Amino acid sequence: MPRRPQTRRWQAVTLALLGAVAAVGVAAAAVRSPEKPAAAAGAGALPLPVAPAFVPGRPRPLGSTRHLSHWAIVKRPAIARVAPAAGAAVVAAVPTLAPEGTPSAVAVIAQRQDDGGRVWVHVRLPVLPNGTTGWVRRRALGGYEAVDTRLDVDLARLRATLYRDGRPVLRAPVGVGGPGWPTPRGEFYVRNKLTRYRSPAYGPVAFGTSARSPAATGWPAGGFVGIHGTDRPDLVPGRVSHGCIRMRNADIRALARRMPVGTPLTIH
Amino acid sequence: MTGWTRRRLLRAAAAGGAIVGGGAALTAGGGNTLLAAPSVDTDARILNFFLLLEYLQETLYRDGLEHGGLTDELAAYARTVGPQETEHAAYLVKRLGARARPRPKADFGAALSSSERFQAAAIDLEETAIAAYIGQAANLTRGAVGAVGTLLSVEARQAAWLRSLAGAPPAPRAADPARKPSDVLAHLRSQGLVS
Amino acid sequence: MTELTLESVDRDEALLDAVSELYGSTRAGFLRGAAMGGAAMLSTLAAPPTAAAGVSDVAILNFGLRFERLQATFYTQAEELGTIASMTRAKQTWAETLGAHERAHVRIIKQVLGPKAGPAPAFDFGEANSTDAAFTRTAVAMEDLTVALLTGIVPQVHDRALTAALMGLLTVEARHAAWARHIVGTVPAPAAFDTPKSLHQVRGVLARTRFIAEQPKMTAKRRPKYTG
Repeated sequence: MPRRPQTRRWQAVTLALLGAVAAVGVAAAAVRSPEKPAAAAGAGALPLPVAPAFVPGRPRPLGSTRHLSHWAIVKRPAIARVAPAAGAAVVAAVPTLAPEGTPSAVAVIAQRQDDGGRVWVHVRLPVLPNGTTGWVRRRALGGYEAVDTRLDVDLARLRATLYRDGRPVLRAPVGVGGPGWPTPRGEFYVRNKLTRYRSPAYGPVAFGTSARSPAATGWPAGGFVGIHGTDRPDLVPGRVSHGCIRMRNADIRALARRMPVGTPLTIH
Repeated sequence: MTGWTRRRLLRAAAAGGAIVGGGAALTAGGGNTLLAAPSVDTDARILNFFLLLEYLQETLYRDGLEHGGLTDELAAYARTVGPQETEHAAYLVKRLGARARPRPKADFGAALSSSERFQAAAIDLEETAIAAYIGQAANLTRGAVGAVGTLLSVEARQAAWLRSLAGAPPAPRAADPARKPSDVLAHLRSQGLVS
Repeated sequence: MTELTLESVDRDEALLDAVSELYGSTRAGFLRGAAMGGAAMLSTLAAPPTAAAGVSDVAILNFGLRFERLQATFYTQAEELGTIASMTRAKQTWAETLGAHERAHVRIIKQVLGPKAGPAPAFDFGEANSTDAAFTRTAVAMEDLTVALLTGIVPQVHDRALTAALMGLLTVEARHAAWARHIVGTVPAPAAFDTPKSLHQVRGVLARTRFIAEQPKMTAKRRPKYTG
C-alpha cells in the first residue's frame, strides 16, 4: 500500500516523540528511587529487559470462509470418478495441460477420505457436459490456492460483476453468445490467462474458462468459452459472440488487474 | 540499530502489534532507557538469576513427588521434568563455576497440601521462570544466549505440558512477555520462596 | 501409546525422511520420542558461535517469515478445507489456535520487514494437511522443527531487540510443540535441552518435504483460440 505523505509526517513526529520520551524516561528513572536490591539474588545488579523489536497483534480466528474458493493444478494425469472410491465409474480423464499450454486447473469443491484412508478431492472439470464434476486423488493435484473473488455473469442483463470478499468491485457490460451460439449457464471457473498476443478480436488479454460451448464441437482447442476484449466495442453489450464473454478493452484490463486465475464463475 | 530503521519498526504498530523502539530497555516507569552492553560479569549475574529459578523448580518437583500426593499424570510429569530442572541447574553451575550461587532454602509448604495446589504453584513458577528468561536473554553475551535458548524452549514445553494437564490453554498468547527481575523477585518473595 | 506410521499418508514419502532426520537416523527414535541432546550437545554449545558476522538480521527474519508462512498456510488450509472440522473439539482448539498464532506471526514479521519482506511462496502440502492423522503428525514435526530453527537462529541475531522479540516467539513455538506432542501421546518435553538446527539444516529438511512448490504459471503468451 503506498504511504501518503501525511503518514510519513506522522511517523517522523512519532519518532521525535519516542526520542523525547526516551530522554524523559532516563531522567525520570534517575529521579525515582533505584531498584531495591533483593537479598537473595541482587536484582539491583541485574539489567532491565531489552524492549522487543516487535510484538505480534492479537491472534484472530479464521472467520467466515463464505467467500473463499480453492483451486489446484493437475500435477499428475488423473482419472476423475463419480465417487471417492477406487472402483467408482470413470467420469473423465484429466490431463495436466490445458490446450493453451498452461497447467490445467480444477476448482476444488470438497475433500474426503475413502475407507482405505486415501484422500479424494471433488473438483469441477473442464469437460462436457458443462458443470461436470468428479473425484480425483489428492496426489493428482498440486497445492491448493485460495481466492476470495467471484465473477458473476448475468446473461439477461448483459452484465458481469466481480465480487471480492462478497463485495462488488467491478461491473462491466458484456457481449455474450448470439443466436445458435449460447453462452452456457452454470458454475465454472477461470482456468488460465493469455497475454501478449496480436489478435484484436480478443483485445489485450483473454481468460480461459472451464465452460465449453456445446455448439462448438469440432472447434479447435476444445471450444472453450473465454472472457476477453474486443475490437468491436460497439457490440458490447449485446448477444453477438460464439459463446465467449466479451468486454470492452478498458474493462477487461481492469478485470485482469483484479481477477486471479481460479476465480469461480457463475453464468446465469 | 544495526540494519534496522525505526520506520520499519513503527510499521509494526499498523499490524495491530506494538513496538517499543530499538536499542532500548524497559524502565521502572515503562519508558525507554539506553541499554548497557553485555559482558561476562553481567552474564554471571543473569545466569545466577536463572539458577535460582531452576533450583526453585527442582525443589518444587522433588518435594511434590515426596509429599504432594500427586496424581498419575502429574506424577509422571514431575518425574520427567524434575530431573530436567536438575540438568538445567547443573549446566548453569558448571558454567558459573566458583560464581555459582548457593542452593536456596525454599519451603513450598502450602503448595504440597494437594495436587491442585501443587499444579497451580508449578504453573506459576514455570511461567515466572519463562518470563524472567525472556526478559534477560537479550542481555547475555552471544556465547551464552545460544545455550540459554535451548533451555528456555524446554521450560516452555514444560509449561505447556503442565497447563494441558491442568486444563488450561497451553499457549495462551502469540508471543510470551518478558518480566523485569525486580518484578520476578518481588513475586517470588510474595510466595515466600525467597527472602 | 499407538505406533505412529507415516508411510501411508505423507507426501511422496518425503516428509517421513525429513521427520526421521529431525530425530536421528531411525524412525524408531522418533516414535519413542527418544531423548536428544545430552552431554555431547552441551559441550558444543559451550563454545561461542562461529562466524558472528554470518547472516544479516534481515535475512534471518526473512527466513523466519518464509517458515511462518509455511506453517500459517498449512494450518489455514486445513481449516478452510475441512480437515480440522473433522477433529475432536480439543484437537480443533489446538489446530485453530496454532493457525491463529502463526498468522499473527506472519503479519507482524511482514510488517517489520516492510519492502524487504520476501514474496509468499507457493505451497503444496499434498495429503499432509488433508487428514486428521497426517495433519497431526506433520504438525508435531513442524513445530519441533520450528523450535530447532529458533534455538539455532537466536545466537546469530545481531540486534538485541530482535533477540528479545524472537525469544518471546521461541517459547510460543515450544508450547505449540509440547501441546502437539501431548495430543498425540508423545512426551511433550523429551529432553532437558532442545537441539538447535542451523539455517542450512532447516532449509534441507524443508526441501526434502517438498512443501514449497513452484508457482504454477497460469498465464501464457499465446493467441486465444476460444470460441470468441
